[in-house]
Amino acid sequence: MNKNGKRIITIVKYIFLFTAGFLMILPFYWLVAASLMTPQEFISMPPKWIPHSPQWHNYVDVFKRIPMWKYYMNSLIVSTSVTLLVLITSALAGYSFAKLRFAGNRILFRFVLATMMFPAFLFLIPVFYLMKQFGWLHSRLSLITPFIVSGYGIFLLRQFIVTIPNELLDVAKIDGASQSNIFSMIILPLAKPALATLGILTFIGQWNSFMWPLIITSSAPEIMTIPVGLSRLSLAFSTLENQNLILAGLVLQVIPVVVLFLYLQRYYIKGIVLSGFGGI
Amino acid sequence: MKNKNPNILTMKRKETFAGYFFISPALLFYSIFFIFPVTFSFLISFKRWNMLRPLSSSPWIGFRNYIYLFTRDDLFKASLINSVIYAFVTVFLTLSIALLIAVVLLNIKYAVVWRFIFFAPIVTPQVALGIVWGYLYDPNRGLLNSILSFFGIPTHHWLTDPSLALFSVMITAVWAGIGGPLLIFTASLKGIPDLYYDAAKIDGANAIKRFWYITLPLLRPTLLFTIITGLLGAWQVFDLIYIMTRNAPAESVWVVSLYMYQIAFQSLRMGRASAAAFILFLIVLVITLIVLRIFKKGGIEGYE
Repeated sequence: MNKNGKRIITIVKYIFLFTAGFLMILPFYWLVAASLMTPQEFISMPPKWIPHSPQWHNYVDVFKRIPMWKYYMNSLIVSTSVTLLVLITSALAGYSFAKLRFAGNRILFRFVLATMMFPAFLFLIPVFYLMKQFGWLHSRLSLITPFIVSGYGIFLLRQFIVTIPNELLDVAKIDGASQSNIFSMIILPLAKPALATLGILTFIGQWNSFMWPLIITSSAPEIMTIPVGLSRLSLAFSTLENQNLILAGLVLQVIPVVVLFLYLQRYYIKGIVLSGFGGI
Repeated sequence: MKNKNPNILTMKRKETFAGYFFISPALLFYSIFFIFPVTFSFLISFKRWNMLRPLSSSPWIGFRNYIYLFTRDDLFKASLINSVIYAFVTVFLTLSIALLIAVVLLNIKYAVVWRFIFFAPIVTPQVALGIVWGYLYDPNRGLLNSILSFFGIPTHHWLTDPSLALFSVMITAVWAGIGGPLLIFTASLKGIPDLYYDAAKIDGANAIKRFWYITLPLLRPTLLFTIITGLLGAWQVFDLIYIMTRNAPAESVWVVSLYMYQIAFQSLRMGRASAAAFILFLIVLVITLIVLRIFKKGGIEGYE
């Protein structure tokens, strides 16, 4: 190919990339810009691109006008609890499937893989019924317990722990280490990268989770999480008066995951590459 | 190590015990939150039950829930069709665009920054994306119509026009979903040795031929993996549809998970909703198996 042709291709590439990049950023830009507008600017026609003077007090008002703080704490407690419990159960089961010989090991692991094929909507009614029978419909336990074991988590940890050399474990056994010693002193420290991957995927997944919290907390506002709270408010504020406050709320909802993502990016990306589209 | 030393025997016994002990939390969980729910769903799909009455006093009605869904329930059929359209179109578009961008980004400066831009929606809550896009699509005050009218394109009621609403949500879903497959494709593309391309160049193959005869075949396991995980995810879409399509007629936008949610938790028809869930599960299973067959390569294990 001649030089001119190559240059044209490069130019076309960049035009394509900048157009696509603009479309990717636009909604995020608008979210932040609109969260700093006055209500008048927000509903003006034609739409405004830039707030005349940024209304930073929107971010204070949002805590006064809606129970943002309560939503935040609920989301934080639920996401942290689920993440910690998933890490523990996945590491235990992952180690068991990877390194311990017992009858049924392979079949049970296949069973765990198979559970991942079952769509969530199959579980909504029976698990809701269970929570009702347990008397947990107004307790955060109903948001936590159905998620404390993850097929994907067990799979991820098992695949990682398999790569730990057996010699290492044999040496420990000869030195008289018990299985729980081996698990806590060899497996857990070595599995840190896999745990970080699973931890950040689980936390972000829970923080953003919507369908189950919607079903549970629609009638239990005291345990409502941020996504449910904000989605309900965005419908309730049909007067347009306070709509831009919801956008401030959305920014506050997004910030923790962005910080966490930037901090643990490497691990998160590894998890995505293993799991496909980003859902667990 | 075949000597029957009693020490080794106790060690083995201990290992077996530890094996069961360490998976016992998971097994307990799966019996409560997997085996029970699946059985329970299946059983109540033959009942008429609204969850307010005790389960024991709800009547068994045989296959009537299933028959109703297939013969009389137009909303179920519409939801089913919408879901199929949504899943296939979204996955096809997302993967095609992601592959195109992955190829373009392969030899470009600051590729990491570009990839981050495409990846941003993946970590953002779908609820937030849905609300923001809802405002962007607003026919009067939304930026989208404002941009389009700048180019002289007529404005639309994106989320309320029955012929447009599902399509508008699909655009948002594709926009939000590119990042994941983009990363996966990039990883696989980098794994293809330059040698293959160099050899093809010497044989006079142009860029399109090289893509078609080298890149695509070598990406097959990756494509299979992304198609299956993508379809499984798209088939269960809920958040975006729930948030964005409230003002559109139900038949034009409802998907299966929204149908499930409404019938079970708004209309309290638990039996019918469970029957629907089982039908949908079977359809998902069949589609997954067909995709696997088309690629003639196994699922997660085939991908390893």
